[in-house]
This record gives sequence, structure tokens and C-alpha cells, in this order.
Amino acid sequence: MACDAKLSHTAAMILQAIDAGFVYGFSIMEMTGLPSGTVYPAMRRLERDELISSRWERQSIADAEQRPPRKYYKLTAAGNKTLESSRRRYPLLERLIPSGEEKPV
Amino acid sequence: MKSFPQSALKALQKPALDCASLLVPTSLRSDWRREWRAELWHVRQACNLTGEVSWQVERSITYFCLGAFPDALCLRWHSWKGFTPPEPLRGSPVKCILSLVATLACFYVISILTPSVRTARRLAWNHAYAGVVLIRNAEVTSHAATISSRQFQGWAAGKSKYFDGFAFYRIAQRPVQLWSSQRKNCKIAYATSNLFSLLGVPLRFASQTASSDENLRDAVLSDRVWRKDFDADPNIVGKVLHIHGRGFRIAGVAPRGSWRLPERIDVWLLEPDSAVRAGSSGYVLAHLSSAGAVEMWAPRVFIKAYGPHDSELDLLGVSLDQKAPPPLSVFLLGVLLAFFALPATASVSMSEYGLISHKLTWPTRLRRWGFLGAKAALVLIIAYFASFDLACAYATLFSPLSVYLHLSSCFLICLAGLSWACRDQRQRCPVCLRRVTHPAQVGLASQTFLGWSGTELICAGGHTLLHIPALPTSWFSVQRWLVLDGSWDFLFAR
Repeated sequence: MACDAKLSHTAAMILQAIDAGFVYGFSIMEMTGLPSGTVYPAMRRLERDELISSRWERQSIADAEQRPPRKYYKLTAAGNKTLESSRRRYPLLERLIPSGEEKPV
Repeated sequence: MKSFPQSALKALQKPALDCASLLVPTSLRSDWRREWRAELWHVRQACNLTGEVSWQVERSITYFCLGAFPDALCLRWHSWKGFTPPEPLRGSPVKCILSLVATLACFYVISILTPSVRTARRLAWNHAYAGVVLIRNAEVTSHAATISSRQFQGWAAGKSKYFDGFAFYRIAQRPVQLWSSQRKNCKIAYATSNLFSLLGVPLRFASQTASSDENLRDAVLSDRVWRKDFDADPNIVGKVLHIHGRGFRIAGVAPRGSWRLPERIDVWLLEPDSAVRAGSSGYVLAHLSSAGAVEMWAPRVFIKAYGPHDSELDLLGVSLDQKAPPPLSVFLLGVLLAFFALPATASVSMSEYGLISHKLTWPTRLRRWGFLGAKAALVLIIAYFASFDLACAYATLFSPLSVYLHLSSCFLICLAGLSWACRDQRQRCPVCLRRVTHPAQVGLASQTFLGWSGTELICAGGHTLLHIPALPTSWFSVQRWLVLDGSWDFLFAR
């Protein structure tokens, strides 16, 4: 996907949230206020377009903390570039989800 | 301690996710189920930080689980090559039309499944009692049987300019006990075989097959007897009934409320014209020919007839279809009254559309008017079914009460529905027909005469902005549409 491609505001918010450290589905939902029926399909589309990538947490880590393993998302290089262009397109994006916010993980 | 609803919600959350995963394409299913389940655990932890179990927490978690269904559907749509997922239905004209169609389907199903409504509709469609006249002696004021069987046979055998069919029935002098009946006194009527066809009353369960035994004549049960004495047996037709030592084949059941003639009857025993017992008195029903219908301009007419030996008979013909107007006429009257009353309940002015800064194209305008027309048409059809259902459910068929109920409910439903259709139309974007959203208060009421004050709503598709004045003034009396040009596009990126 081209880095300067125009993203919807929802997709841009998700990219911004991941960049801000909200790296799994529920935290992105909490941060953006978007419902689960919107966030997960949007993340799958971003993953398909290679703007984000996902990986499953190691089972041993989850077992140690007595919880199920979860799927983490991160921006790819193309995703970072697209986010930069989206920030220019949506100037309020960074004020909505500041990048310097305390990261949950 | 958890209440039952909380426990039920919690028990349903994981199965809901599993159900949602079934909608996901097989290759992705296990991965999605795993992610949803993992997230569910974390959602529960995040929502329940205090450790207290509450209704709010369970509701939030359930909302999260229900969100899996749109996810799954979205994935399924993406898996179908060349398939474009439908646009969200919220506020869309499609949703509006679908809701109306669903409402209409509900009322239609009710009318199909409710026996009284079904019967009434069948009677209305068959034009029951239309053109039927009850003939009785003009000198007798009561509803007593006054016409002799001999007179009837003479009329039935002869030719008449004004009538094209005659039927006769007489009440048996003594009530009888049916073979299997708990009822002691069943009122029996002997009638000519064309009685129900002349009245236009369709019999329930009637079969066209004749009895194999030629000695058996047909009998028709009333709805009351069929329900109480025969346990509403749907296979009743063909069974044999023994009355006064003779066998009668049950040919059908008269629908409830379909008998509007003198005397309440439990069983009609049908016999050919020639078999009508001589010397008995009964009731004669005649069906008007086209010439007779012209002459029958009043509910009652005096008829001069000639009996045996050229004796003159003064008869009175009482029309049977004048008491209850046809349901369609009642419905049309209700619709007419609703259209008259509509301007008093909702603004039907379309003047604000003349103030659109950009001219709408003709196809767009036609689509808009077509949408309003479709809504109005569906509302009227809903009113037709709903009012008829209501009238049949709460009043006896063809009674004055049922007519008043039908008319008043039809009027109210039409009025409410058309008012809603107009109000809804005024809140829909003229371009995409979606409802405008995100209301914003602009200005102060105290500044009404100095500046703009009111509410602004915007089309989610980015086509238009709607201004509704808080206080109508001479320069801004009605709502106005502003068509958004390309400079607004950055707000509505997709």
C-alpha cells in the first residue's frame, strides 16, 4: 500500500493508538472509543495492507502470569510512513491520542 | 452475590464468541476464536478491577462479545471475492423501508394466523351478502318466518327480472341432540343446498368431492358447535351426523360471525329445492340481478308478488349488505380523513427545498419523492391490515362497533404514520436520503434577532447541512438545507 494513501479517520486513529503503545485490541478500543465490531476488522485490513503486523505472545509468558496469551500489534515501516501522512491530514489526531502517553505494555 | 441476569449474561458470553467464530471463514476461525477468548479474559479483568461483580460490568463485557458478530460478518464478506459489504444501515433509507416492510409482514402474519380476521377477510373478498335480499311478509313486523315453502318453490321455478337466485331455510320445530353432543338443544335449520353459495359465505374445510352414498345429504355446522361439540376437529368434513334417524354428511363449517340472518342456528341440513317440505314456513333469500340492483336503491323495498290463484302478496325486501360497509370503503374513508387532518399534526411544507443553494438533479429529486411515496404507501398498507386486525379482534364481525373501530383505528394509524413519514422526510439528506445526525446547538436564543440561533445537523455522508431555527423569524422561518461542496471533503474521508 502506498505510504501516502488516504486512510479513514478510524484507521488513522487505530494506527495512532498502536504507535502510542496501545498494542492489543481491547486497549485500542478503550483508547479510541471505537466498538469491537469496528476495531478488529479495521486492524485486519491494516494488517492485510501491511501497515501493521501482529504476533502471538509466547505461551510461557502467559502461563507465568496465569492468563491466556494475547495478540500484539505493531506498526510496520509502511505503517509509520502512512501514520505520518495521516497526522498531516488529521491534525487533531495527536492531540486525541498523544504519542507520549504512558504505554500500557 | 450475582443475580440471575448477571449469571445468564456471563454464561452466554463465551458461547456467543464461539457462535460468532462460526461465521468466520474456516481458515481463520481458530485464530479469531483464540484472540476473542484471550481478549475476553482481559476485558473481564479490566472491567472488574474492583473485584465487585455488577450489572454494569457484565453488560460491558456482553457488548464486547456481541461486537464479535460484526467482526465475523465483515471477515466473511471479505472472504467472498467481488462482494461489496453493505453500507451501515443506521439511518439509511434501506433500513427505514425494511423496518416498514417488517412491520407490515407482522400484521399480515397476524391476520393470516388469527381465525376471526381470516374469516372476515374471506367474507369481504367473497362479497358476502352483497346483493342478497331477505324477503318477508310486509304485514308482519317481527322477524317471524312468513313465506311458505310453496311460494318459494313457485318463485324458484319461475323466471324473475329482478332476482337471479332464491334460497330458503326453515327452523326445525324441535331442537335435537346431536349423536356425540353434550348440548341438549341444538337448533336445526333445513335449508336449500344453494343457501351458502347464494349468501357468498365460504365454508371452512369445504371439499368439492361429493358423498359416495347418495342417500346422505349435506350438513353444515356452526363454528360454535364445531368448537364445543367436535373439539374443533379439522378433519370433520365427511363424518356422518345422525339426526332424526337420518344420516347427514358434514360438508363444512360456517365461519364465526358469518351468519347475519334471523335465528341463531347450530346445524344447517341442506336439501334440494324439490325436497323442501310442503306446508312449512321459512325465510326466503333472493339474489338481485343487475336490473334488480338498479331498482334496489333503498335498504328496504316493497315487492308485489302474485301467489296461487293470482292472489296479490305484499312483501318487503330487506337488503342484507347495507348494514356494514365493505372494509375497503371504511379504509378509504379513514385514509381520506387522515389526509385532511395531516396538515394539523405535521408540517407538509416543502418550501425549504427551494432554498437549497445547489440545484438537485432530477433523478435525485425523483428518488426523494419516490422514497416519500414508498413510505406513505407502506404506512397505508400497514394501516389497512392493522385496523382490520383490530376491528376483528375486539368486535363482532360486521357489527356497527367493528365498523367504528375499523374506521377510527385506520384514521389514527394513517394519521400517525403519515405524520411520521413527513417528519422523517424533513430530517433526511436530500442527496443520499440518510437521516442527518450529530445535532449541534449554534448561537444563543437571546441573539435570535441579531444572528443565527438554532440547531445544525449534518449528513454522515458529507452531502448536506441542515439548519433548523430555534425561533422562526420572518427571515428564517423554516429549516434550510446547505449542500456541502468539495471543500468539506476532508472531514468525510473514507
